[in-house]
Amino acid sequence: MAVKQLGNERTIAYTDGQELVMERVFDAPRELVWKVMTDPERVTNWWGPRGHTTTVEVMDVRPGGRWRWINHSTGGEDAPFTGEYLEVVPPEKYVRTEMFDVPPFNEDPAMAAVETLTLEDLGGRTKLVSRSRFPSVEALDGALATGMISGALETYDRMAEEFAKG
Amino acid sequence: MHTQHDPLSTTFAALADPTRRAILARLARGEATVTELAAPFDLSLPAVSKHLKVLQRAKLIEQGRQAQWRPCRLTPQPLRDVSDWVGRYRQHWEVSLDRLDDYLRELQLTEEPDDGADR
Repeated sequence: MAVKQLGNERTIAYTDGQELVMERVFDAPRELVWKVMTDPERVTNWWGPRGHTTTVEVMDVRPGGRWRWINHSTGGEDAPFTGEYLEVVPPEKYVRTEMFDVPPFNEDPAMAAVETLTLEDLGGRTKLVSRSRFPSVEALDGALATGMISGALETYDRMAEEFAKG
Repeated sequence: MHTQHDPLSTTFAALADPTRRAILARLARGEATVTELAAPFDLSLPAVSKHLKVLQRAKLIEQGRQAQWRPCRLTPQPLRDVSDWVGRYRQHWEVSLDRLDDYLRELQLTEEPDDGADR
């Protein structure tokens, strides 16, 4: 099964069959990372592309709870994401569905990704691992390739410029 | 519920081949003839043409009509639709993790250390 290496200098990202995996270590204790990721008022401070704002319409972090976040671009375009929490184990894990809430991506619930996020306590530091399961290897493969063609590399370049600024 | 063929699935099927993805990457840089597209691959022209037909059916490329020339060009709308999906998701999350990193650092500089209870 092909494993594609993606990501950037700070986030390790790779595909593993039907899953997109992202890993990152944060210089922060696990309890703080958990709080920042599951508190509706904190999420707006970090989620989404730079320069964009986010509205948390609903965020009920417990099994069966719904979430819906809308990211607003500088051009006025809204990108809504939604799903349901399936499993929640503070401060170490949650499992939730995630779907881009516009047609045609929201027309088939089977098109939702299932994300398993785990936080590992490294003693004052925290390792985040997010595994997102997509409907098929073909879907993940094809869509990632498209992302590359359509400008993800440009994003990486811009990020590298940003990092170089220090 | 789709009664006709799901355009996203058609796009995915077209993209699920490394040769076809390489062809699209080449066309993203500009038009090319079938011969130019075939050059990097160890494939016959008919084999490359088969790939081009799949891409055409998925409306990812169009081919000019002039018999000798017939340049191929990218028609990006289906790509944008698909890249809006997983591509956006992944790019979104990578930037978000960078911002989360910044935010966590900022919080620890300004907050009381009562969140790291088991230190």
